[in-house]
Amino acid sequence: MHIPDGFLPPQVCLTGYALTGGLTWYSLNQIKKDPDIQANIPKASLLTAAFFVASLVSIPVPPTSVHLIFNGLMGAVLGYYAFPAILIGLFFQAVMFNHGGMSTLGVNAIIIGAPAIAGYHLFRQREHLQGKRQILTKALSFAAGAGALLISASMFAVLLITCISPDMDVHAERTAILLSLVGYSIQAVVEGLFSVMLISFLEQVKPELLKG
Amino acid sequence: MIRFYFCLTLFTLLSVPEKVLAHGANIQYRQTSAIAIQAKYDDGVPMKNAQVVVYAPSDRATPWLTGVTDDLGNFSFVPDADPENAGNWDVKVRQAGHGSITSIPINQSKLTNVSQTQTASVNAGYSTVQKAIMAGAVGWGFIGTALFFARSKSSK
Repeated sequence: MHIPDGFLPPQVCLTGYALTGGLTWYSLNQIKKDPDIQANIPKASLLTAAFFVASLVSIPVPPTSVHLIFNGLMGAVLGYYAFPAILIGLFFQAVMFNHGGMSTLGVNAIIIGAPAIAGYHLFRQREHLQGKRQILTKALSFAAGAGALLISASMFAVLLITCISPDMDVHAERTAILLSLVGYSIQAVVEGLFSVMLISFLEQVKPELLKG
Repeated sequence: MIRFYFCLTLFTLLSVPEKVLAHGANIQYRQTSAIAIQAKYDDGVPMKNAQVVVYAPSDRATPWLTGVTDDLGNFSFVPDADPENAGNWDVKVRQAGHGSITSIPINQSKLTNVSQTQTASVNAGYSTVQKAIMAGAVGWGFIGTALFFARSKSSK
């Protein structure tokens, strides 16, 4: 769900850059308050590498094929480090593989990165909610993984539908976008399950990794 | 009496307006050269039934032609030989939010860059090995960063 160059009007691209700039500044501020930056940067760096490589793997989901994004997982594990991490990952994807345009980098970062922060806050609720720790962790990691992707897909669809240039056949494009949402719903379930697996594994093996 | 009716019928038939007589049709054909494009996703799957918009050099704001690719992602068009339309023709292909724009240099209905009979838009043709090397290089950059920050305190 990376938007390529030439599909959005310039005002939208500039707004995307402004919002990304603001959210990056806010994330960096939050990171500054972190007592243990030295330990969290390797975590963020490795997940960024995984995020970057995941876009090269395409899974055929009829009617189209999808690339795993796991922004919810990154948000849950990294917290506010996730937003700059996703921004950097997207930058490299755009530059090396033309996956998403450079003019739409800001917009793509908001579409993929903002739900990651939402996933983080959702996952953090396990400290505040009552219930068995294990079940709560599994449920909230699924919610973070699937929910973040669903929010991203909705933002992607809404943005594209409202910004279809009048050159295109609006009806056909709208139908195609709504169809792709079906594919993204399936991907949301896959990513939710993947998040559950990984976070359960980390919780068992190295729970201090999830404290951030 | 019959003669009267005969004259009346003849007069009515002859007073028919010209337009009705022009219902005959003819077809003309000639040979010409066209530009054919094929659109694929970056994993090789063709973009079937995707929207195509062609922009001519003389007016990049107004679509010169719109259409749809076929089941194999093919689409062809005949650029006009108008001298003001010599230059870069932009072809935009889009489907469900994914797509690309490519620029085709055409002069007098011929590709300006004749040495390449098959041109591709940016980054369309990396081989798997090239992609693996690129991914490895970037990945090593990230892993190196991680290792750098994971140094133990004594080696600072």
